[in-house]
Amino acid sequence: MGKKIRLGAGSGFWGDALDPAIELLEHGNIDYLSMDYLAELTMALLQRLRSRNPDAGYVPDLESHMRALLPLAREKGTRLICNGGGTNPEGAAEAIRKLAQELGLKGLRVAAVSGDNILDRVDELVATGCDLTNMDTGDSNFSGIRDRVVAASVYTGAEGIIEALANGADVVIAGRVSDNALYVGPVMHELGLDFTPANADMIASAITIGHIVECAAGATGGMSSRFDEMPHMGCVGFPIAEFHEDGTAIITKVKGSGGAVDQFTVKEHLVYEIGNPSEYLMPDGVADFTRLSIEELGQDRVRVSGMGGHGRPETLKLVVGYEDGWIGEGMLFFPWPQALQRAEKAKETLLARFDRLALKADAIHFDYVGVNMLHGPASPMPDYDPAEIGLRVAVHTKTRAEAEKVRRACAQLWIMGPGGTSFGTPMKPRPVVGSWPTLIPRTFIEQTVEILEA
Amino acid sequence: MTMQALDTIAYVRSGDKGDVISIGVIAKSPDLYPKLVNSVTQDSVKALFGDWVKGDVEIYPMENIHALAVIMRRALGGGATRTLRLDQTGKAMGNGILRLPVKSN
Repeated sequence: MGKKIRLGAGSGFWGDALDPAIELLEHGNIDYLSMDYLAELTMALLQRLRSRNPDAGYVPDLESHMRALLPLAREKGTRLICNGGGTNPEGAAEAIRKLAQELGLKGLRVAAVSGDNILDRVDELVATGCDLTNMDTGDSNFSGIRDRVVAASVYTGAEGIIEALANGADVVIAGRVSDNALYVGPVMHELGLDFTPANADMIASAITIGHIVECAAGATGGMSSRFDEMPHMGCVGFPIAEFHEDGTAIITKVKGSGGAVDQFTVKEHLVYEIGNPSEYLMPDGVADFTRLSIEELGQDRVRVSGMGGHGRPETLKLVVGYEDGWIGEGMLFFPWPQALQRAEKAKETLLARFDRLALKADAIHFDYVGVNMLHGPASPMPDYDPAEIGLRVAVHTKTRAEAEKVRRACAQLWIMGPGGTSFGTPMKPRPVVGSWPTLIPRTFIEQTVEILEA
Repeated sequence: MTMQALDTIAYVRSGDKGDVISIGVIAKSPDLYPKLVNSVTQDSVKALFGDWVKGDVEIYPMENIHALAVIMRRALGGGATRTLRLDQTGKAMGNGILRLPVKSN
């Protein structure tokens, strides 16, 4: 029996539940608790917080989470790794150091891992001659958005986390590291792996396992097609990955917790948000999901073996957030009888109102709620008279004032529209942060690690 | 005979990356995998979602787990923050693909 590392997944996004993370610390017998807080454009939101207050810019929930987790983690000897540092890992680490002192956790070592936030290096990057073509659209005119850029974060890898752990960090707070670097880091640290080609399969295995558990309840019954069969989902257990030094792993969860781990909960998450499954590209390596095996070992225990891949790419993904106008939105509901016909006439009426208000729109989108809002053109029209139908409208505009016209036009339908028209509180216009994903040379980025002691 | 839809033979999960929606479709048992492969094609997926998918559709087989990865480009109305749809991250689109009819060959 070789060495094994037990990794708990404590958070799948900013807003996830804390009680399953506490349960993992109390009953999971885990060596590491990894917590992902960042979605693609969370960084733009956090950057906005930091522009108002230079001490802010990390995930605001971090302090309350750490208040609950730190004492337990110390008692159990579990190390915490997260990317909740957002746009200010140093500020977050300082706040957590103070918190640790307040909690009497003397000597606790808190590491900040940074280097991913290149908002103030964008011009330097452009000057290197990097073309910054948008990966999604093929648009190469980066200068067209340059003066509207509000965030620029690079998906960085596990190096900083490994260095922090090697320097005895009890808590690692990173910025925009890839979600699965939170798992790859501790595995590479514990097994003493570096990025030499001979380790490519092992690192790819860690990437694969990180991918399976990184959305927490996503591997234990959450989002499942078999949700109706899943027990006690209100008390769902978050997953534990037990990584073995032979490059295999077991996915499991705390005994008695809600949800399930079986071949399908694992398969469903393996296929989640991927591109070509034989080349799952991450900053630490490239995993091949098409050669592995998944096998149920018993209740809530699934073995993943045969994983592998190849070495890390020479480029890293940069996501630039930029101001991209406004969205004005409204939702109105109509009762039986002839609810759909009422919604159709209301749509015509709204379009005429937009004309009268001289709305300047880049795009106007309508849905019939209860008919085609979620599947669009794939939806069949109802062949009966439904109990109720909604009309949803969303409009992209350049300015807030134009987006306001959408709210006004919708509100006017209260009395100008069909009988029975109902809606709740009108929706406020919201600013849009557009996303410009691109690839940059790895050599442009260097992670730095700073360790603070309580 | 009524046409069988894909929901009788497959599970799904979908999500986003930029303006790309990815849908994983998993056969409920290994013997159903060939039917899944026959039913989910570039043409059938393009036709199903119409003008909601503006770019290419790519389909990658994962025979080891009896699943397909369906990648739909320029499919989210400009990406999660830019899209005018309610389902900003394409979470519901996976279930949409289950409307495809099952084809045996």
